[in-house]
Amino acid sequence: MAKQTFTTGQVLTAAQMTSLQQTAMGGGSTTAKTASYVLVAADAGTVVQMNSASPTTITVNTALFAAGDTVEIQNMGAGVCTVTAGTATVNTSSTLALKQYDAGTLYFNSTSATVFFAADAADGASPLTTKGDLFTFTTVDARLGVGANDTVLTADSAQATGLKWAAAASSSITFTTWTPTLTNITVGNGTQVARYGTSGKFVIAQYKLTFGSTTSFGGNIKITLPVAPAYGAFTAFGFTQDVGVASYYLVGETDATTTVSLNTLKADQTYLKDTGINSTTPFTYATNDLINIIFTYESV
Amino acid sequence: MTTKNDLIAQCKAENPTMISVINDEQIELTGADYEKACNDWAEMRLTQIKLENELKATQAVKEAAQAKLAALGLTADDLKALGL
Repeated sequence: MAKQTFTTGQVLTAAQMTSLQQTAMGGGSTTAKTASYVLVAADAGTVVQMNSASPTTITVNTALFAAGDTVEIQNMGAGVCTVTAGTATVNTSSTLALKQYDAGTLYFNSTSATVFFAADAADGASPLTTKGDLFTFTTVDARLGVGANDTVLTADSAQATGLKWAAAASSSITFTTWTPTLTNITVGNGTQVARYGTSGKFVIAQYKLTFGSTTSFGGNIKITLPVAPAYGAFTAFGFTQDVGVASYYLVGETDATTTVSLNTLKADQTYLKDTGINSTTPFTYATNDLINIIFTYESV
Repeated sequence: MTTKNDLIAQCKAENPTMISVINDEQIELTGADYEKACNDWAEMRLTQIKLENELKATQAVKEAAQAKLAALGLTADDLKALGL
């Protein structure tokens, strides 16, 4: 029975009384709809029941209802029925999109403001269905199914939930090449290998120079690192080889930038002391001799 | 006496072309790079030759001294015993 204003002395019929009783008990007359619908004043105190296989809307406008009026919305159809604010405002703590067999009540606080109280317990319930599911949120509560084995949860703003399962970052190191800047070395027809790899901020690099017949050293030798070190100076180790004769320790000593001086160790009374390598130190370099050094450090 | 120009000429004669290799990539040195390689190699060889000659001279002096000792019937141990 639609809301109406009774008058003094009015006599209600049995049908009217039954309808009033239904309304009082939360039932009331039902208006069936099969397409999108705009609420009218006569819907106050009734049930508007949508039944459509396609998505529909029920629009709420101002100046039709009074404070305290209610309209129950039910969706019987497979198509989602969305309660839509027309000229009135519609607030809810749940969702205004009603799935099949979902329902709720519009309660008017004024002629222009209403609150939708969802009746479907599932609206506030967990969406989780499967082992490993995560409870996330899009514009509504949402389920994120468990990822493949060994994947990790990763933030991704392009996803509806802002999350995705992705392969874990590889802990292996992939090597690539770099071209160092050399000081006091003219490679000529020598052969260089300059490769480095990173894992996070960990850097490992190798520099190897095999002398050709026209490779030459000037004064003390320096080369540059592939990536700047985080904390300035550090020491690297390697060897320099007088092929077929002997090998000598090679010590790389960085300055505060990316430049490394290559030194060898020299007996100096009690202790070994570093000394720069050059064309005659620690031996007279010739074809096929080599220097080989490994750097490990934290990058900036 | 070998000069720097001699060594540069030697370098060019022995290396009419010069290929540098870095990370398996071959780069032919030409123009200024080629000239620099020959020049720097010549300078390095001069330094090495100078050192080699100094070592040879030192060794010659040592061997002459040992010959004198031997002629006197002395050895290095005899000199040590004398505190020399």
